[in-house]
Amino acid sequence: MNATGQNLLEVDHLTISYRVEDQWIPAVRDFRLQLQPRQIVGLVGESGSGKSTVALALMHYLSSNGRVESGGRLQFKDEDLLRKSNAEMRQLWAKRIKFVPQNASAALNPSIKIGRQVMEALKAADDIDGHEAYKRMMQMFHDVNLVDPERVAERYPHELSGGMQQRVTIAMALISNPELLIMDEPTTGLDVTTEAVILDLVRGLIAERDTGVVYITHNLGVVAQLCERVLVLYAGEIMEEASVLDLFQQPRHPYTLGLVSSVPRPGQSKRAAQLQSIAGNPPSLTRIPGGCVFAERCPLVIDLCRERKPPLESLEDGRLVRCHRWEELSQPLPPTPTSHLYGEHPRHQMPTIEMVGGGANGETLMQVSDLTKHFPVERNLREILGRIEPSPIRAVDGVDLQLRAGQTLGLVGESGSGKTTLARLIIGLEERSGGSLQLLGLDVRNSVRERSQDVLSKLQMVFQNPQNSLNPYLSVRQAIRRPLIKLRGLSAEAADAEALALLARVNLRAEYAERYPDELSGGEKQRVAIARAFASDPDLIICDEPVSALDVSVQSAVLNLLAALQDDHGSAYLFISHNLSVVGYLADTIAVMYLGQLFEVGEARELFQPPYHPYTEALVSAIPVPDPLHATERILLSDDLPSAQNLPSGCRFHTRCPRKIGEICETDEPPWRQGGAGHLIRCHIPLEELTAAQSDLIPLDEVV
Amino acid sequence: MRALTISRLSVAFGRTARTQLRHPQSAAGTLLVAFFLILALFGPQLAPHSNPNDQSHDVRVPPTLDPGALQLGEHPFGTDRLGRDVYSRVILGAGSIFRIAGLGTLLSVILGSALGLFMGYQGGWVDELIGRVIDALLAIPALLLALVLIGIIRNLDFAAGSWQAALADNVILLVISLLYIPIVARVARSTTLDIKTREFVEAAQIRGESQFYIIFREILPSVIPSLVVEASLRFSYAIFLVASLGFLGFGARPPSPDWGLMVNENRGGFYQLTPWALEFPALAIAILVIAVNLMSDGIRRAVQKGS
Repeated sequence: MNATGQNLLEVDHLTISYRVEDQWIPAVRDFRLQLQPRQIVGLVGESGSGKSTVALALMHYLSSNGRVESGGRLQFKDEDLLRKSNAEMRQLWAKRIKFVPQNASAALNPSIKIGRQVMEALKAADDIDGHEAYKRMMQMFHDVNLVDPERVAERYPHELSGGMQQRVTIAMALISNPELLIMDEPTTGLDVTTEAVILDLVRGLIAERDTGVVYITHNLGVVAQLCERVLVLYAGEIMEEASVLDLFQQPRHPYTLGLVSSVPRPGQSKRAAQLQSIAGNPPSLTRIPGGCVFAERCPLVIDLCRERKPPLESLEDGRLVRCHRWEELSQPLPPTPTSHLYGEHPRHQMPTIEMVGGGANGETLMQVSDLTKHFPVERNLREILGRIEPSPIRAVDGVDLQLRAGQTLGLVGESGSGKTTLARLIIGLEERSGGSLQLLGLDVRNSVRERSQDVLSKLQMVFQNPQNSLNPYLSVRQAIRRPLIKLRGLSAEAADAEALALLARVNLRAEYAERYPDELSGGEKQRVAIARAFASDPDLIICDEPVSALDVSVQSAVLNLLAALQDDHGSAYLFISHNLSVVGYLADTIAVMYLGQLFEVGEARELFQPPYHPYTEALVSAIPVPDPLHATERILLSDDLPSAQNLPSGCRFHTRCPRKIGEICETDEPPWRQGGAGHLIRCHIPLEELTAAQSDLIPLDEVV
Repeated sequence: MRALTISRLSVAFGRTARTQLRHPQSAAGTLLVAFFLILALFGPQLAPHSNPNDQSHDVRVPPTLDPGALQLGEHPFGTDRLGRDVYSRVILGAGSIFRIAGLGTLLSVILGSALGLFMGYQGGWVDELIGRVIDALLAIPALLLALVLIGIIRNLDFAAGSWQAALADNVILLVISLLYIPIVARVARSTTLDIKTREFVEAAQIRGESQFYIIFREILPSVIPSLVVEASLRFSYAIFLVASLGFLGFGARPPSPDWGLMVNENRGGFYQLTPWALEFPALAIAILVIAVNLMSDGIRRAVQKGS
């Protein structure tokens, strides 16, 4: 590596412990890092891997129950950060070391105007007068692409969208020209379109400064698109450190390999192959294994791994790896290197289903016609006095959809597009304002309270947040047997037996039956929730972001499970996600939703190829592809979704559309255009022109 | 199934007990409450003179308690002006205060939480209506409302042995629960509002569970921890209220060994003669109230930590 003098940040043998009930638990062990100016180093890990702990320790900002063990080194240029008092650190924080948090809305003071907050940050760093500070702030706001900076400065944080808030925190961090910037998952809570904008911004801003960045994330796609070097953290230890190219092309650690190959890529489909996944769960930090921390989940494990902890070895090309068997992994890899390693449960080939024109599986299961949900808005005093009826929030506004038996319909859109409301209307948790639902040709009533037992048992749901989808006071067995008794009418004994069978089908051992939700990991909880949804043998299961709260290595196992269960039961899915790659993997048909309306419907594989609706095009191009060589021309959208109470006229997308053709977009609703079998696009631009304009985009299936 | 839920909750309370022990104040509070509870349960066996109105002793004997020699003596807390043993009366008084305050609290927690769960889950105009009534009730000072209710009920004439008479005998207990039902209902309601948006409740809705099942099987277990905290807090207020009513002459009637009543009977000119006859029951009230408060602090800490 480089000579010491050049490094901005040098970390060696850093061990960080937390005190839990009178015991010090080493959450991060033997951490190392070298960072140079202008470099972006990615720190990747799943939840509990210790990546945020590292960020806090680098900032010298651990909570009172955390400490850095002696023997480590934390050198920032010529300052030894471990010897600094808080008062000394405060001077460094003011100017030289900055932090961008995950949750911008919590980081900004809600009662102070944006402008004052940013100027305060600047005045703490530099001794300049107000006029100069204001000028620099305007310049900075301009640099982070905040539209209308003067007005932004006059606003309070809650008046800005999430993406704008994150831009403000980035502006605040960069305004003092810091030498070191630590970013802790700055885009995790944002939509994929906003994320793309922020990533672009960070890349551009760093390129023109001398700042070194430690970028913490769980998203490999983000790493591939942004970082120069990557550190992979697992259970508090570095597994591998390499340049981003090496890491993605020739991972030397089985964990990295598992991570890289478990992410679905855009265009990858369940029909082609099962996703790779890493079995098991990370070890508990209170019981760290004596050998390799990854041994329990490693497909390459040998006896040595359990007996002796592998050292963190420096390889000749500057990489670090902690594995006894890295040399075997560095052999020239067969063409599909990963499929054998993690493919321990080969999956039977899924038949390609003939989509349109009605095969045996193509019969219509549910017909959604003109479904509408308007949430009324409470009137304010002026409206009451003036007898004005405020316009309602049009969460779902005239949606037509067909769900086919045994198939998956993917529903994508940004947050605020109305996709969750649509799901809740179908399941009956929300009462529709208009339109109709037909299940197998029969009308379905409005809310769950009015629906018959028969309809209830045919429609089930898997929720987004595994934390809340199971009752903490009911055991797994109780959670699964209840729908068996209630909806399938089984006796208590039969239900117990069937509950065990269901557990087996979601790959959980029988002993899980007596466990309670707080004894399960997120992925296990979601498996139980899936078993519960399948208990009534439903025809349609609505999956509302079922994997978005899960770690990458667990995510793919749950997706595989959903695909396999669909195969066995022939249930249809309505699969909702903001993650196009995930939807693309599982869905047969995809519908794209924006502001309460559908804008494109088509077969999954067609949707990833031109012609796209301009909105779909933006969504697809915004996907952070986990491949550092993949560089698309991003179509960046301004991050303001118009209010659903005050919808744009004409085409609802015209305010953000990069391909707007003129006045017609603002005045007329666009027509549905037919593009091949079952592919519908709602746009004023003829499809031939769209195809021509979009063909310079790299088709995504070539990437895979 | 129910047994499992109970075992689940008992795990939570095992944790509560451990947290209690880690904090010396709440451990002390819990031990003191346990001590008073034993007095309440076994008072007649523990008191040297099981008849509180035994006037056969010398009058105005000063306390013979000698902590230095670890000796209680004949009349540890002395005797009052009528020659009653104050020590026995304080021990025997624990029973009534625990019965009235404890049962009153229990009744208010059961009814109040049922009401609160229903309001919170139902929402809409039902919630709005009951909520306004509760607000109105809470606007009246508790002691004033208690005095008015007791005054009204005591002035009614009931045939001896009728159920109305039985109710009138327990009027303080009923008034306490009536006063606290709205407060408990509010707590149960606000917790229910939080729990009912959880996805496991929605999962129960989409399999067509009855409202009764959802409220009591799905929501109630998650509400119980906050109810326990509220109950312990209510209990300490109830003790205070019982003592206050006794002091004001609206509680137990003479010659019953009620602590508040004993304070009242021995104030004024009698205080000069037998200060101990006032001081010991007053001290008992103070210690019990503080102990219950310390205990409820500990319970709250444990519950917050657990959730």
